[in-house]
Amino acid sequence: MDERFALVGLCPAAEQAAPKGRRPGKRPALAAAFLALMVLGCLLFPLLLTKDPASMDLSNYAREPDGTFWFGTDTMGRDIFAMIWSGGRVSLSIGFLATALSTVIAVAVGAVSGLAPRWLDALIMRLTDILLSIPSLLVIILLQAALGRANIASLSLVIGATGWMSVARVVRTEVRQLRTSEYVAAARCMGGGTFHILRRHLAPNFLASIMFMVVMNVRGAIVAESTLSFMGAGLPLDTVSWGSMLSLAENALTAGAWWIVLIPGLFLVATLLAVTELGEWLRRSANRGQSNL
Amino acid sequence: MKLARRLCSLLLSLLVLSAAVFWIARLAPGDPLVSYYGQRAERMTPEQRAREEARLGLDAPIHVQYVRWLRNALHGDLGVSFKYKRDVVDVIRGRVSNTLLLGGVGFALIFSMALGLGLLCARFEGRPLDKILCKLGTLSSCIPEFWLSLLLILIFSVYLRVLPSSGAWSVDGGGAADRLRHLILPMTVVVTGHLWYYAYMIRNRLLEEVRADYVLLARSTGLGRRRVLLRHCLRNALPSYLSIMAISVPHIMGGTYVVETVFSYPGIGTLCYESARYQDYDLLMVLCLLSGAVVIVCNMLAQAINEHIDPRVRAAAAERAEADGHG
Repeated sequence: MDERFALVGLCPAAEQAAPKGRRPGKRPALAAAFLALMVLGCLLFPLLLTKDPASMDLSNYAREPDGTFWFGTDTMGRDIFAMIWSGGRVSLSIGFLATALSTVIAVAVGAVSGLAPRWLDALIMRLTDILLSIPSLLVIILLQAALGRANIASLSLVIGATGWMSVARVVRTEVRQLRTSEYVAAARCMGGGTFHILRRHLAPNFLASIMFMVVMNVRGAIVAESTLSFMGAGLPLDTVSWGSMLSLAENALTAGAWWIVLIPGLFLVATLLAVTELGEWLRRSANRGQSNL
Repeated sequence: MKLARRLCSLLLSLLVLSAAVFWIARLAPGDPLVSYYGQRAERMTPEQRAREEARLGLDAPIHVQYVRWLRNALHGDLGVSFKYKRDVVDVIRGRVSNTLLLGGVGFALIFSMALGLGLLCARFEGRPLDKILCKLGTLSSCIPEFWLSLLLILIFSVYLRVLPSSGAWSVDGGGAADRLRHLILPMTVVVTGHLWYYAYMIRNRLLEEVRADYVLLARSTGLGRRRVLLRHCLRNALPSYLSIMAISVPHIMGGTYVVETVFSYPGIGTLCYESARYQDYDLLMVLCLLSGAVVIVCNMLAQAINEHIDPRVRAAAAERAEADGHG
């Protein structure tokens, strides 16, 4: 293979023979390490710290970061360093709980829709479309209002219940494509039940294509929690989370207290970034061929 | 015929949506009288409460209320906002242009810029430019809109004092320039919140396209890279881009709502948020139906455009219609 073929994008066969797919680039070591550190910190620090994150100390109101208060204090005199860790605990658990819930719903709905006769499938997908059409934030606020005072469980429930639609669509498409394939027919011929086929033959296939979306749902749930709590529709001020910490930002802005806005936000963004890196890595494991351009 | 069927399905969807919103809103705890009378509602005697509820029609069972609402709505009476004590249409009319300005211009900016960035990234795949743009995109997709808003307010309003932090115009009014100054920060947040996501989508869609055999053929006939990318690949990628645009409407709309709340921008979003939190039932209904209608219409539009652009979809539809005719 020589230079002439480079013009049309042909490359030496040796390069194509070793596709980059199974060697999915760099492993996101940094992201994984950071996430592990965050999880560990959120689990351990609230046990180790002597300062109570919820205790208000109005004599130390909106103090700049210094030796005693590493990250400063907020406008209610709470220590931000302590709040970061206990707040992270709340934010991360909501992220994971909500995603677990939405994934279960998505797989159930998607599988039913994918295996159902055409009319039922059309009905379910129509309903999914309608649900997708309502801005999810509005649904979350409405549902949260219906459940009363927000706590970690109710907020996870609400966020999870509104985040399953797009994953369900993918599951449904995959299942519909896969169910006509030969190996599913073979399994059916051998007497495999619907549930058995779903678990042993369909799930391993569609799991690969939804993993990325599921990881992104963790991100979405953390963002939803913080946005809601920031707007005052989520967790109340005394339940510390990264979002509810930021709901004091309005006072902080007028006081010019940058650390109240910046520090929780930076932790939030760094965590989201690490989750995204992990998700991207999962997606990159899908093979990509050589460009013809 | 086709149009009539789509119209029917639109109306049916709106009916289902209205029923769902109606029930959820009314089952939610919370006192609509507070929204009407403010703090006074808490000091009312039970008899007063009962009288007021009867006056506002809140005492009947929910399905009776729904049928009544539906009948009035079909006669063109969409109800009265509890909070503003005005016809909901009037309340919304005062706000809708603000949101259209923010969301509409934001939408246009997002999609034109995303197309450009996506093409740029696809053209220079794997080169430093592509890598930098992708990294920037990942970063900005990880910054929640409300925090970006806070950050921008902190920088430009608190420290630099060059841009206003809230509202859509100054109290004393200042014409178009003033409007523009108030739009800069919210618009920045709306655009950066979504731009990268769609740019990345186009990039990936184009990269799939670039690997097709027809590109090889086109290149071997001597067409330039740019021409192949713009005339051949883009044409194939465009239908899915348009449907992505339609699907993105609720996302951008939802984003606009958050941004409006942070910046206290008097638009539909702040109204939506208020009405949901404070049980302003009639207003909430209309806002939800409006949002739903916009999205459904956009979806239909995208499908129609899809069929028009992509001959394959058109052919498949014709085939199906023929099969239906015979069967």
